Amino acid sequence: MSGNEAFEIVSERGWSRGLNTMLRSGLARWFKTRMWWIQCLIWGSLVGSILATIAFNPQPPPPADLYMIFMVFVGLFPAVGVVIIMQDALVGEKREGTAAWVLSKPLTRPAFVLSKVIANSLGILVTMVIVPFILGVAIITIVTKSTLNPLGYLEAIGVIFISDFFFLALTLMLGTFFDSRGPVIGIPLGILFMQQNLIGFLPALRYVLPWTLVVPIGNTNPLAISFLLKTPLPQDQLITLAAIVIESILFVFIGLWRFNREEF
Amino acid sequence: MSQINAYVIETHGLSKTYKNLQALNVLDLKVHQNSIFGFLGPNGAGKTTTIKLMLGLTRPTAGTATIFGMDSVTNSVDIRARIGYLPQEPHFYEYMTARQTLRFTAEFFFKGPKKAIDERVEEMLGLVDLSDKADRSIKTFSGGERQRLGIAQAQVNYPDLLILDEPAASLDPLGRRDVLEVMSRLRKYSTIFYSTHILDDVQRVSDTVVILNKGKLVAQGPIEELLAGSEGIIYIIHLKGDVDLALNIVQSLPWVSGIKTSQNNDESIWQVSVTDPEAAESQLLKLLVNQPVVVNEYRRKQYDLEDVFMQVIEGGQDVRK
Repeated sequence: MSGNEAFEIVSERGWSRGLNTMLRSGLARWFKTRMWWIQCLIWGSLVGSILATIAFNPQPPPPADLYMIFMVFVGLFPAVGVVIIMQDALVGEKREGTAAWVLSKPLTRPAFVLSKVIANSLGILVTMVIVPFILGVAIITIVTKSTLNPLGYLEAIGVIFISDFFFLALTLMLGTFFDSRGPVIGIPLGILFMQQNLIGFLPALRYVLPWTLVVPIGNTNPLAISFLLKTPLPQDQLITLAAIVIESILFVFIGLWRFNREEF
Repeated sequence: MSQINAYVIETHGLSKTYKNLQALNVLDLKVHQNSIFGFLGPNGAGKTTTIKLMLGLTRPTAGTATIFGMDSVTNSVDIRARIGYLPQEPHFYEYMTARQTLRFTAEFFFKGPKKAIDERVEEMLGLVDLSDKADRSIKTFSGGERQRLGIAQAQVNYPDLLILDEPAASLDPLGRRDVLEVMSRLRKYSTIFYSTHILDDVQRVSDTVVILNKGKLVAQGPIEELLAGSEGIIYIIHLKGDVDLALNIVQSLPWVSGIKTSQNNDESIWQVSVTDPEAAESQLLKLLVNQPVVVNEYRRKQYDLEDVFMQVIEGGQDVRK
């Protein structure tokens, strides 16, 4: 490439080539466009408005119930947004031709997929987990005049994020298998909303589905609430947490393997 | 590229099958350094498939493609570090502006310095006349503007090999002229491999041409050789009068290999194929003038690329040089 003497040429080798460039672009999409505040507005207003309506009622429910309602809204519903965003990350790019375009540059396929995982994880963590979580906890703290353990606070955010990451990784993996949006959106949303029925039908599924991390079953607190309130942690939910982490990593690896075989 | 290997692109038996469709069938290509290589063929001929195979976007069913001496499957990323590519229908991230798109593309090749990258981006914007639209979202771009941006991003790294898939497809005549000028200018630095339907453009700028049909290579060679025609040398003669007598005399000449005749009103039109061009040039017209006929038109048939293209596509001829 004559005429490029003034430049410092990228000399990276191996699977990570192009990752930095893709990551910068992915993060810029989240945080240098309207996307971040639109997502904050959607999920912040959803959680904030519902919780405020209930909490500032002249006869508010007891704090334990408030936490449960809060957790359902902050832990379950944003997963819908995660699925919608992630299906676009791969299927959208395959269909629109942008994936083929960037992969004609010196960019490896693992770097392409991982940039989608990392950039979207950070965007989702900030706008769909942390912001609505802080808003919700602030409302509950004001109403109940309670103080929460900061470590429990972070742990609860971590559990909610792991639950969302499960859907992120699942959608990403499906996006490497399918070229149409239907199954890539339908399968994760089906799992998201059918979890309770599936666990009712086959109780062992509670170990491999993220339901109990964020939604109570009977009188048992979800794991995120147990962390937040510093109550004893149910052992079976810790097993679920470990299983969800392993499954999510597996989904990403399957996605990487499948995308390597993709033809454009 | 090594001194030993003067070919930028070499394919050997390159084939691609999609389910039951043979998109590319045993393609053997050699592209010289610093050539402008025109890649022609009707829709579905396998042009885009070939380009995707060279870029590693798809894998061959059989055969190999070697770019800069590197295998397109195992060294795909290293190959792409030296290539600029314009897709047939360029699609970019809609949330970016033209300037951001070029900077994003440049960062795959260059770590810095930022000033040099910005200058290169400005240069490319100027090259395709998009400087005044540099900070507009791509969402608002017309097809022609996207195409120009596509041409700019393909050159942002001053590639050793520029692959253009239908570069002038959605451009107006002025845009087309500009693209051809850019290609001619870049020839000093790059090898240009481009597919197109616009035969006139190929004839103007290419030095080597390949014609594909139904996944098979049907013609390949320097453009002058292809334009010389595969039918041999033919004289076109329009004449009136006692043509039968003249026809018998011409047919009996030892260097005339065949005559096709047709009729247009009262005028006879002959296409005389000859094996000895010098004898034909010196004797044929003289001989006719001495016959009881009036010669209204007499010329040696000149081929243009369209003739060659139509011959090999419709006639199924193989004119590899």
